[in-house]
Amino acid sequence: MQSFSSRRNFLKAGFLSSAVILTSGCDIFGVTTSRDTIKVVQNDLFPKAKELGIDTSEYITIIYRHHKISKEDKDFLKNGVKWLNETAQEEHKKIYTKLSDTKRQEVLENIAQTEWGSAWIDTMLRYIFEAMLGDPIYGGNQNRAGWNWLAFKGGEPRPKRIYL
Amino acid sequence: MYDICIVGSGAGGSPIAYELSNAGFNVVVLEKGENFTEKDFSKDELGVSRRDMFTPPLWEQKHIINEYRQSGEFTRYDGAESGWSFWNGSMVGGSSNLMSGYFHRMKPKDFELLSSYGEVKGANVVDWCITYDELEPYYEKVEKVVGVSGNIVEHDYQEPRSTPNFPYPMLETNGVTKWFDRACEELDFTPIPTPRAVLSESALGRNGCYYSNFCGSYGCSSGAKGNARAALLQKCSAKVVTDAFVYRLDSKDGRVTKAHYYTKHGISHVVNAKIFILAAQAIESSRLLLNSKNSEFPHGLANSSGEVGKNLIFSAGGSGSGRFIFEKLSKEQQKVLMQPGLFFNRSLQDWYDYSDGCRIYKGGTIDFLFEHQNIISRVNRELYDENGNIMWGDKLAKKIEKQLTTSRVLTFEVFNDWLPTDNCNVSVEEETKDKYGVPVGVINLNSHPQDLEVGEHLAQNAVEVLEAMGAVEIEYSISSSPPPNLVAGGCRFGDNPKTSVLDKNCKAHDLENLYVTDASFMPTGGSVPYTWTIYANSFRVAEVIKKELQRHI
Repeated sequence: MQSFSSRRNFLKAGFLSSAVILTSGCDIFGVTTSRDTIKVVQNDLFPKAKELGIDTSEYITIIYRHHKISKEDKDFLKNGVKWLNETAQEEHKKIYTKLSDTKRQEVLENIAQTEWGSAWIDTMLRYIFEAMLGDPIYGGNQNRAGWNWLAFKGGEPRPKRIYL
Repeated sequence: MYDICIVGSGAGGSPIAYELSNAGFNVVVLEKGENFTEKDFSKDELGVSRRDMFTPPLWEQKHIINEYRQSGEFTRYDGAESGWSFWNGSMVGGSSNLMSGYFHRMKPKDFELLSSYGEVKGANVVDWCITYDELEPYYEKVEKVVGVSGNIVEHDYQEPRSTPNFPYPMLETNGVTKWFDRACEELDFTPIPTPRAVLSESALGRNGCYYSNFCGSYGCSSGAKGNARAALLQKCSAKVVTDAFVYRLDSKDGRVTKAHYYTKHGISHVVNAKIFILAAQAIESSRLLLNSKNSEFPHGLANSSGEVGKNLIFSAGGSGSGRFIFEKLSKEQQKVLMQPGLFFNRSLQDWYDYSDGCRIYKGGTIDFLFEHQNIISRVNRELYDENGNIMWGDKLAKKIEKQLTTSRVLTFEVFNDWLPTDNCNVSVEEETKDKYGVPVGVINLNSHPQDLEVGEHLAQNAVEVLEAMGAVEIEYSISSSPPPNLVAGGCRFGDNPKTSVLDKNCKAHDLENLYVTDASFMPTGGSVPYTWTIYANSFRVAEVIKKELQRHI
């Protein structure tokens, strides 16, 4: 277990920065990275975080490295990024991050009607709140901005290192 | 060779370690998990509650769960695939580190359930082979040695005590308890200050509670919580070996001879001792006996009766809640409501038994407490709108902000008897192995219909209190879903070796030197959390073993 900042330096070209290739039949019609998509979709799902000066997208790197999160759960997150972009392509001929604010919300409304889509939004929101409201040592809840928003004081003692 | 080898360092094993090592005997405790002390614990919600840092990953160690229906059919769940965990805290001191410490004694009639309330069709109800009076001195001992704080109020079901009151004064409580007491007075219920295994002041070489706001599920950083490590193991010379998963006990000529354990790297070790104590928590204790079959005991160690693993019980009941909203409160009341840190600590036992006009039913206990302070969990409760649709964006942010900053939830937990039945038991599945290569435990779950009826009756009374207090959004759920941290049975004690695994001193009928001292011995569970009874019984058995060993010196 190490602090978030030193751990972050370790990160090599892992899932987040590798390309997600979207296919339709045999055609490669779009390339994006999970990091780009997650950053945008997290802001679409919970813009309050950015308002509070919190970047929740970095926290996903912890989720992908965590030994207590199952491979199935990690795969679901990854697949969701792919399916979200595929939906965007199908509906608007563009990857998710290239759509307008209104179109992106439309895509979210549409996937929320599907089983995978509502589950994926649920999962993504839970990770957003983990980032916003977990101990500041995990890197998201800087200056306790998330806690202050909800007048929450946190518990003492606070952790000295992150649990990974 | 050790005098005593104890498998498991929780509330069932530690009193033996404490008493016997303090009496000068050579004691070793084998614990699967790590050692954490006060300085290692923090209030890290992500680590403790979201990532379950004190329990093993299910893909390494799991259970198979068969959930029975009344028809006798069942659905099989693979613990790893379904995420259904029955682990409670693999660490020195066991899950007592993580308990809330709601401490209630069982009542005299709980020891005579069959005689007091009669047979229940489809349930294996029996009387205990000891009485409340035999256990009472040890309940009292736990109050003093482990530390229980509280205040006795007279009520219809107050059990007899050898001392007038608790040795440690009540913990401080939130002002909302006054609203509760007033509501109970109107309803003619008797509010009881919930006794807690939490020191309200520094004593016993431990610090008093500092009201961190994070008690249940979290390790205690002050030592105030009466967990088995802080209260007992840290105060005795018993040797504790961590990273020691005991996978087999050997026996020869009616005596256990060796305990075999693996480290996490799969290295096998052997411990020899004169007396062996099994206290790995109910499910795992039965699993170990069933996995320790040999030519003398082809169906599992200590299992000539075929009763090992049978009559597994949990605490039946469920939980509910009501919300207090600012709109209905004065400024002063709002301030009282949001006061952090202090406990709620109120219980009701007015319906420990009750009549429906035809017969007397065994009822139970209701504990009231504020919703856990875990902020991420509280926010996650708000993700769906009233139609069950997922929300996001500003609408969600506004809802969260309103719910968390202008209201607070009071919850209640119902504890009633989980009646023992034939289909609720532990077995092992030879072909399914854990990461050590050891057959996993199979948990067969079955609840008796009466469990739900009684739970429902209790919950309806709890709802009346919340209504009288002015709460809104009142809801509850009584279910047959078992609380994994409130588990007992599997190695019943009793006088008849054909129908029980252990004798009245919790020694295996079949073996001269094997005792089981976690909650496995309990034939019925009472309608309270088990920990106080586990501690008390283990102190009682320690007394027996001490005399036994002293006789041989």
